[in-house]
Amino acid sequence: MMKILVVEDDKMTGNYVAEGLREEGHTVDLMTDGKDALLQASTTSYDILIVDRMLPGLDGVSVVKTMRGTKNQTPVLFLTSLGGVDDRIEGLNAGGDDYLVKPFAFGELSARVAALARRPRGTQDEIVLRAGDLEMDLVRRKVTRAGQPIDLLPREFALLEHLLRRKGRVQTRTMLLEAVWDISFDPQTNVVETHISRLRAKVDKPYEVELIKTVRGAGYRIEE
Amino acid sequence: MTSFLESSRTLFRSTPLRLALALVVLFAFVSLLSLGASYLVIRDSFNKSMEADLRQELAGFQAAASSSAVARLIAAEAAVTDPERRILSYVTADGKFSGNVRVSRSNEGFRLLSLPDEHELSEGPYLALTSNLYGGQLTVANSRSQIEDLGELFLNILFLSVLPTTVIALTAGLLISRRSGRRIDAIGEALKQLTAGDLSARVRTMVGREDDLSSIAGLVDSMAAAQQSSVNALRQVSADIAHDLKTPIQRVAVLLNKAREMPDLPEKLEPILNDAGQETASIVATFQSLLQISQIEGGSPKSRFQPVDLGVLAATFVEVYEPAAEETSHRIEAVLPNGGTAMISGEKGLLGQVLANLIENALRHTPAGASIKVAVRTQADKVCLEVSDTGPGVPANERQNVLRRLYRLETSRTTPGNGLGLSLVAAIVDMHDGEIELSDNKPGLRVAMTFEKDSSDG
Repeated sequence: MMKILVVEDDKMTGNYVAEGLREEGHTVDLMTDGKDALLQASTTSYDILIVDRMLPGLDGVSVVKTMRGTKNQTPVLFLTSLGGVDDRIEGLNAGGDDYLVKPFAFGELSARVAALARRPRGTQDEIVLRAGDLEMDLVRRKVTRAGQPIDLLPREFALLEHLLRRKGRVQTRTMLLEAVWDISFDPQTNVVETHISRLRAKVDKPYEVELIKTVRGAGYRIEE
Repeated sequence: MTSFLESSRTLFRSTPLRLALALVVLFAFVSLLSLGASYLVIRDSFNKSMEADLRQELAGFQAAASSSAVARLIAAEAAVTDPERRILSYVTADGKFSGNVRVSRSNEGFRLLSLPDEHELSEGPYLALTSNLYGGQLTVANSRSQIEDLGELFLNILFLSVLPTTVIALTAGLLISRRSGRRIDAIGEALKQLTAGDLSARVRTMVGREDDLSSIAGLVDSMAAAQQSSVNALRQVSADIAHDLKTPIQRVAVLLNKAREMPDLPEKLEPILNDAGQETASIVATFQSLLQISQIEGGSPKSRFQPVDLGVLAATFVEVYEPAAEETSHRIEAVLPNGGTAMISGEKGLLGQVLANLIENALRHTPAGASIKVAVRTQADKVCLEVSDTGPGVPANERQNVLRRLYRLETSRTTPGNGLGLSLVAAIVDMHDGEIELSDNKPGLRVAMTFEKDSSDG
């Protein structure tokens, strides 16, 4: 499916990530040194880079900065064992597209890789989002299913819009927290689950086909 | 006015000034004493020599053969004698007077003589020696003006030497003590900041000559530098440990995930693996907080600060924790300012962490049914954020302790948590130049934080 370069100095973590991604059907190259990775990334074309912040040779942030300096725009997902807000901002400022703090579940990584691969492009112009018989009018802020209007609270509307824009892709609870609530750390609450279940009660329960699916160990998805 | 009084009071309490004052007083006292003693000695010897002079003169007249001879001698002498300086008076037994000023009768011997007021001569007193001679009375008196002048001379010495010296010494003492005072103030200020926890505080170099105070200042500075570097080393070590331990924790998480994904996983094993996963997550959370605190205390750059609306942030976090509160039968509400924004300059993620930690704490440490209030208030140039609950609260003597790292109240040992939540909150508030205060909510705990209002956009 995709060609991915994983740069991670801890062999066990690197192998775990690489194996998981290969099982999903991606082609994965695994490297452990920053300088080697920079050379590899500039000579081979990848769809996505997964880069650890702390690397021997050249640290992850420098690798990505140097790469961006040569107009290489390959999406980058940083892995880090640091996790302060500052580290996150520094990573994103250096040209990273997303940021994942260790330890992470593979489901989270997989969802974020998928999101990076197909960042929503051009979908911003759409006025009506659709999934099955569900319609969301972004201009009039109205939602209908099978022609019947559904009343949604602003946060429920934002949640549904986010899932609809990323139809077919898993969104993890941390991704939803970031996108809908603008919170970049995990506050350890069930707010996402609660809102999803409220949304389901309005959007799915009265109908035969369930649109919002739970992906075990990963998150939620609206089927295409 | 009060501040002037206050500052002069502190000035007078300063040791150098007191020493200077004591020295000046001692110097003035000794000078006056020696001046007074010299005056007395000199006056005494003047008096003695005057008395001797008078006796000698009188003896000269006594040598005359008769009363008329005395009168002639006196008259001749008086003709060339200035009564200002010397008075000669001889009154014979039948009342005939010769001399320059007539002195009325009196007893024999020395006495002080003042001329009557109407006399146009010097009113100054004379030392007079009276003696009976041939039935008449002879008085010779010498002006004491020399002795009076002596007093004036000593007064002049007093005014011209002792007083200016005292004033100069006093001024110099004041200046020196003000300089010392400034140095002592600088040392005191640095020590105060160091005690308050600002380990970067220094006395810095002192203007002017080196003295014992500047060497003490140097010692204070090197002590502070040593303390700061050892604290930094400690911070670095704890950050390094936390960081190094995260790799093996990541591996444990990987292994647990692999185990959970086994196709033939026995059903009994699944909850155990899930629990192990959760424990790993809480270890990670503890390290995360430790790393974050040391990062913030190590001086995170504030250049990334942006305007943040505390009202919007508070509303979001109340909403985020609403489901959790419902689950544990807590009430949570946001009290926001009516209109207007509660903008401060800060890092949104960290400020969100403050709200999350405080709300989580309140949920964790209060019984079911308790209410939690998150209030944002704006004042003239301040924004106040307050999280209060109606739980058991924190005893007054523990309120400062709970802000310390890893500190936990005895009563909350059994509840989950790592004792880092409030110290992270304190570190973040401090980083935003805010004030944090824990108080009694009657009942419950009230955590109030005050920040400067962001002025960048009105």
